[in-house]
Amino acid sequence: MNSSDGQPPAIEQVVPLVYDELRRLAAAYIRRERPGQTLQPTALVHEAYLRLAGAGTPWTDRRHFLGIAARSMRQILVERARARGAQKRWGGMDRVSLSETLVTATNEDAMLPALDEALTRLEALDPEQARIVELRYFVGLGVEEAADTLDISPATLKRRWALARAWLFRELSGGGSQ
Amino acid sequence: MTVPGAWRQVRDLFEQALEQDPAGVDRWLDHAAGGDGVLRADVASLLAHHSRAGRFLAEPLGERVPDPFDEGPGLEPGHQIGPYVIVREIGRGGMGRVYLASDQRLGRPVALKALLPRLTEHPSSRERLRREAQAAAALTHPGICTVYALEEVGDELFIVTEYVEGRTLREDIASGNRPSSHALRQTARELASALAVAHAKGIVHRDLKPENVMRTNEGHVKILDFGLARIETGSPVGPIGPLITQPGLLLGTPAYMAPEQLNGQPVDARVDIFALGVLLYEYACGKHPFEAGTPLAVMARILESDVTSIASRDPHIPDDVAAVVDRCLQKAPVDRFPSASAIGPMLQDAPTVPPPAVARWWQMHQLAVIALYVGASTAAWHIKEVATSPLSRWLFVTVGIGAAVAGIVRGHLVFTQWMNPLRLVDERRRTATVTLVADLLIGACLFLDGLLLVPTTPLYAVLTIALAIGVALARVLMEPATTVAAFGRR
Repeated sequence: MNSSDGQPPAIEQVVPLVYDELRRLAAAYIRRERPGQTLQPTALVHEAYLRLAGAGTPWTDRRHFLGIAARSMRQILVERARARGAQKRWGGMDRVSLSETLVTATNEDAMLPALDEALTRLEALDPEQARIVELRYFVGLGVEEAADTLDISPATLKRRWALARAWLFRELSGGGSQ
Repeated sequence: MTVPGAWRQVRDLFEQALEQDPAGVDRWLDHAAGGDGVLRADVASLLAHHSRAGRFLAEPLGERVPDPFDEGPGLEPGHQIGPYVIVREIGRGGMGRVYLASDQRLGRPVALKALLPRLTEHPSSRERLRREAQAAAALTHPGICTVYALEEVGDELFIVTEYVEGRTLREDIASGNRPSSHALRQTARELASALAVAHAKGIVHRDLKPENVMRTNEGHVKILDFGLARIETGSPVGPIGPLITQPGLLLGTPAYMAPEQLNGQPVDARVDIFALGVLLYEYACGKHPFEAGTPLAVMARILESDVTSIASRDPHIPDDVAAVVDRCLQKAPVDRFPSASAIGPMLQDAPTVPPPAVARWWQMHQLAVIALYVGASTAAWHIKEVATSPLSRWLFVTVGIGAAVAGIVRGHLVFTQWMNPLRLVDERRRTATVTLVADLLIGACLFLDGLLLVPTTPLYAVLTIALAIGVALARVLMEPATTVAAFGRR
């Protein structure tokens, strides 16, 4: 999309804008929470994109927007899980049930704070790994679109995504210290 | 466990290991790690976790949140609101629940939209709702679902509209049955005519999509929610007013929004023309012109990529419909139709029904070709009897099958021309490939038959080859010419 004045926006201006918009939207859902329904982060990101576009925000690059939105989505979802005391429930589990929970992808909410911390450690090793997890897991982009956003080939993305999953799985199931 | 400096090595080894044969990966790793025990152990442990990770992170994170449309329990059957008695719930939309109700005073069925409290709590939104409903109620057209009234009962607001029985265009599209050219043109004309009437009164729909178009049981189309789209979302993207800052409602799919709508630029009636183009495209060929995996990707395609012309998606789409759709889908509003009223005249069925005299000649052509098939089959049979080559038997079988299939198809066309001329164009397009393949196959087989005869009976060989060429030419040259002569197009 074109900027209203033809100038591309500075990144610093854009990041908080996206984060605030996503947070505001997500907060609206959280306040009115009832069981049984599902929030789709992809839809949320889409709505934020629309709303910001409507407010005349100058986007020059969709990849750029997706990257920022994915990071924000991660923060929002993790903060939310923390606020609900997810950390405690996770900390209370023994190792066997931890692994079990991870493999069957149940109780994902409880896992989020721990996942976030592990992801931060992984990010220190390799920032790209964290970006991949944000796009694939937190926003829910498909392989093709995530690869396009990061400007790598889908095959490369699949391999690195496998590595990220393996690494995080090891961290969360307590295998990192073996 | 991993130190940053070693990460690259770990990553590269892991990625290469994924491509090794699992059985030999241990030995491969011994070799590849080059004696670095720490590195080897790290990669091996990652590979082990990779194979055990199950569903871990496999599905994108979904969180539990409220359905924005579900605000409290609905109304029970039998519940009375003013003069209306609820019969049953018939749907939910961005505005709230929709009920079938019975108007006790006039004894007719109506659709009752119970507007979400969120849309009505602010005095200025209430005032705006009244204005929108008033404008919408001024529209009367057979192709538009009529707004009867805006009822205020206590704090609650209800929009009362005509009750349209039938199915949505979305259901039509999803059924997988593609419309005939006649039905396609008729649908396009009816929708365009409804849009033209509304646009002339300054009312833009803004949310035209297959879910908002009903096909009545009589076969006509009716547009729902005309002029009410802004009630649902505020203007989808526009100046931020009280409605849009009220969060909690996900906008629907952007798949029918025009580029200027997505860009937040001022919109006019031409956004409906764009949406009509998308809708007709989907209705005609079953595929969305900007199909993509996610809403964002759809938006990017609407804004940036050129549409795959509908004619190249499906060669059976009539040229006039393809031209209309292409023009509706132009990115720049000025390149689209300036008014929906310009669309109807472009889509006339008339040329598809030829005058009887012309049609008779076209039928004669079909019957002559069927006779030619009989001749070709007979010739192939004779040749099988006299020729020594086993190939001649197979040629006869092929000619026989081709002649039977194509003969039946052509017979079917002649009957269609007699019984139901409006369907003929579609039937002809549908069967064109069959007759083309069959005719060329018959021609080729006869040609080979002719070659088989050359050593023994050159005269028959020449006649057979001539017949082969005749069959092929009749299909490739003559038939298109007679068809154009009869119907004005192929």
